[in-house]
Amino acid sequence: MSEHTTLSDLEAAQDNTTAADVQQESVQNFPEPADVGATETMSMQQALNRALAEVMTENPRALILGEDVGQLGGVFRITDGLQKKFGEARVFDTPLAESGILGMSVGLAMAGYHPIPEVQFDGFAYPAVNQIICQVGRMNYRSRGTLPMPITLRVPSFGGIRAPEHHGESLEAMFAHVPGLKVVSPSGPNEAYHLLKYAATRQDPVIFMEPKSRYWQKGPVNTGADAAGYNPNGSRVVREGKHLTLVAWGAMVARCLQVAELAAEDGIEIEVLDLRWLKPIDAEGLAASVAKTRRAVVVHEAPRTSGLGAEVASIITERCFGTLKAPVERVTGFDVPYPSGDLEDEYIPNIDRILYGIQRVLEYRRG
Amino acid sequence: MAEISFPLPDLGEGLIEATVLEWLVTEGEMIERNHPLVEVETTKSAVELPSPQAGKVVRTYGEPGETIKVGDPLIVFEVPDDTAGIVGTVPKEEAPKRRVRLSANLDED
Repeated sequence: MSEHTTLSDLEAAQDNTTAADVQQESVQNFPEPADVGATETMSMQQALNRALAEVMTENPRALILGEDVGQLGGVFRITDGLQKKFGEARVFDTPLAESGILGMSVGLAMAGYHPIPEVQFDGFAYPAVNQIICQVGRMNYRSRGTLPMPITLRVPSFGGIRAPEHHGESLEAMFAHVPGLKVVSPSGPNEAYHLLKYAATRQDPVIFMEPKSRYWQKGPVNTGADAAGYNPNGSRVVREGKHLTLVAWGAMVARCLQVAELAAEDGIEIEVLDLRWLKPIDAEGLAASVAKTRRAVVVHEAPRTSGLGAEVASIITERCFGTLKAPVERVTGFDVPYPSGDLEDEYIPNIDRILYGIQRVLEYRRG
Repeated sequence: MAEISFPLPDLGEGLIEATVLEWLVTEGEMIERNHPLVEVETTKSAVELPSPQAGKVVRTYGEPGETIKVGDPLIVFEVPDDTAGIVGTVPKEEAPKRRVRLSANLDED
């Protein structure tokens, strides 16, 4: 850890990827993991842990910091065993101060490191918002590109685990609104593994929103050489259909797949689009799907007003207005503080609320 | 299964050690979160430590009368690999239930 990077080293190594590049990169639906090669079955928890270990091995400048990420291995065990493997200098516990975690990450990034901070729960991200907006999001711009902020901020996000107040929020619209930040949310173990590895090799700051309620479900993950066919950019069609597009991200993708299964019993073929990147949003991917289905419903856990669903609806409307059969419907949380665990089932969009939203779109007639 | 070690926490302002008075759990026992673990005595007081989590007790450190330093291992639990974090519970995977049926006249498409 003794060597330091000079600014010219940084410039030489700088990956000039920008938000616009991500939008321009072609959006293709890569094959399911099983089609690509050998897979291993693991939970999202294990997939994230594996991805972090590989990032730390490949990049000696990568550092992991946060509350309880070291000795304990994280409250969700995402960093389990990493301090033992990489030492206390590279995986370390911080004081209980999110402003300090992000402030330190900014300084480390300026000194040439790639910090991977964890904010233990999304509800604790608020004390770090000043650093995230005013430093992380702006430093590259402010320094005319000489001080990029290669920070991968992991945030266990959303609800669904019956946690008390402050332990479940949906902050994607807030982060997506901040210029200079990228925001991504994986929907399952394979996505989590690859998107985290991708995010942690970017020179841009990425807010990595891990859906807590999906940490424990297992699925096939392509690791190692078998991962070559994976495209981390843009959105991804996870189920094809022709009558309506369901747009979701994070934990809601799995729920929308259940809804699509049920809708098929009624003769309605639903396409499920995992948006993945919440900033920048894959406008081409949205337009391609809705151009085919001509109907769209967007589902998210966050409150409705100024939620990301409004942005998705607007993009779809701008690109598909002429062919849409109905206004884009939103099925969302409510405009209330995120409720405690006992009320979660009433707040998070459930199967019936999503089906109602679909029915409203199917019934819509002009005039 | 995974093992999780719980070190002796600082039980007051800057205390550096505590003496075990009596263990309230035995090795092999399954306990719930907040179950009393051990009674220890510091220079300030005798206190009963509640368990930070549920799990099977694998090992305990320190016989009654022995002193343990803050930060040294106190107890090791065995928990399932996919156990929940310290906050919240693992959601159950349930077969989807529905009340709403879809109906549409798709002939117009």
